[in-house]
Amino acid sequence: MSRLRSVAVLAGIALLQTLLLIARPAVADEKTVGSIKKVFGQAVVVRDGRQTPALPGFKLNSGDILETGPDGRLGIVLRDDSLISLGPSSHFGIEKFLFVPADGKLGFTARFLRGTMAYVSGLIGRLAPESSIFVTPVATIGVRGTHFAARVSE
Amino acid sequence: MRIHLRLALAFALPLAACATPHPAAVAPPPPAQPLNAVVLLPDADGKVGRVIVSNRAGSRTLDRAGDATRIRDAGSAPTAPATMGAAELEATFGAALAAQPTPPRHFLLYFEQGSTELTGVSRAEFPAIIATVREYASVDTSVVGHSDTAGDARTNMALSLRRAMAVGALLVAEGLDPGALDITSHGEVNPLVPTGDNVSEPRNRRVEVTVR
Repeated sequence: MSRLRSVAVLAGIALLQTLLLIARPAVADEKTVGSIKKVFGQAVVVRDGRQTPALPGFKLNSGDILETGPDGRLGIVLRDDSLISLGPSSHFGIEKFLFVPADGKLGFTARFLRGTMAYVSGLIGRLAPESSIFVTPVATIGVRGTHFAARVSE
Repeated sequence: MRIHLRLALAFALPLAACATPHPAAVAPPPPAQPLNAVVLLPDADGKVGRVIVSNRAGSRTLDRAGDATRIRDAGSAPTAPATMGAAELEATFGAALAAQPTPPRHFLLYFEQGSTELTGVSRAEFPAIIATVREYASVDTSVVGHSDTAGDARTNMALSLRRAMAVGALLVAEGLDPGALDITSHGEVNPLVPTGDNVSEPRNRRVEVTVR
């Protein structure tokens, strides 16, 4: 390791330790529940009633709603390593996402109102198989650790 | 002669079958399938889980890959599971399935006893983590520190946090945005290899890095 890099590492450790001392939540980022990884065509995130273009690298919070246009598609990864993707003209809300395995706090509730979606479960599906629920206008989908796809066009 | 007769029959029978009106052609066409549907798919490793689809009119369990249930509306029970054909699967879900992200990648880094010093093997693995962070353009990388059970739990909690921070600092030094890092510590409560208390176990002195 070069000397410059060693200095950078030491500075990094110092910075992180400072962050940790004054604001622990800033290091243990508890607000982020996942991120957008893929976007094709038109897609937006609705947060607190405001629309933002959906772009790869956008960090998601509980309560965010994802919407795709007639040519839109997108894919996200949640912090429990679950994968969610949406086809065109879809509306998907992350209603509640709880993932604190050390405290046994686990749960996921989504509101899927229209369009097409696919889901691959992650750690919540493995650690708390009864606690992933997708609410749709026509039925509720309970997931026991698996991969499924759904269409709602009521 | 017998051969000729057989040949004649072979041609005549299908013709006769065509001449008789097929019952389905007379009966009214079946109602269109409801558009709302849930289909169970196999996991990447081929394993199949379970999905339960329910509303106030009924409940169905899907437990075979490719099985689908359809729901006309909130007041109609989900239909009995039936296989969804590959063509319909592709036509309906092809776009959503093609947008599925790459699954996250996991790395385990190990430490010398009681220290935040990576073992030689783990130091050698570090460039692969950096490469993955770049390849994934990750904005959400978790670094979780763990210790073995040698020593007391509070010291171990602090030690595993220092280990996670040391790894976090190495990642930041290589260009990872600190805002993309989630650093936590589990201390000795989440061992990879369960042991009794006060056991020095190299495999439990680890930091788990998840690149999403």
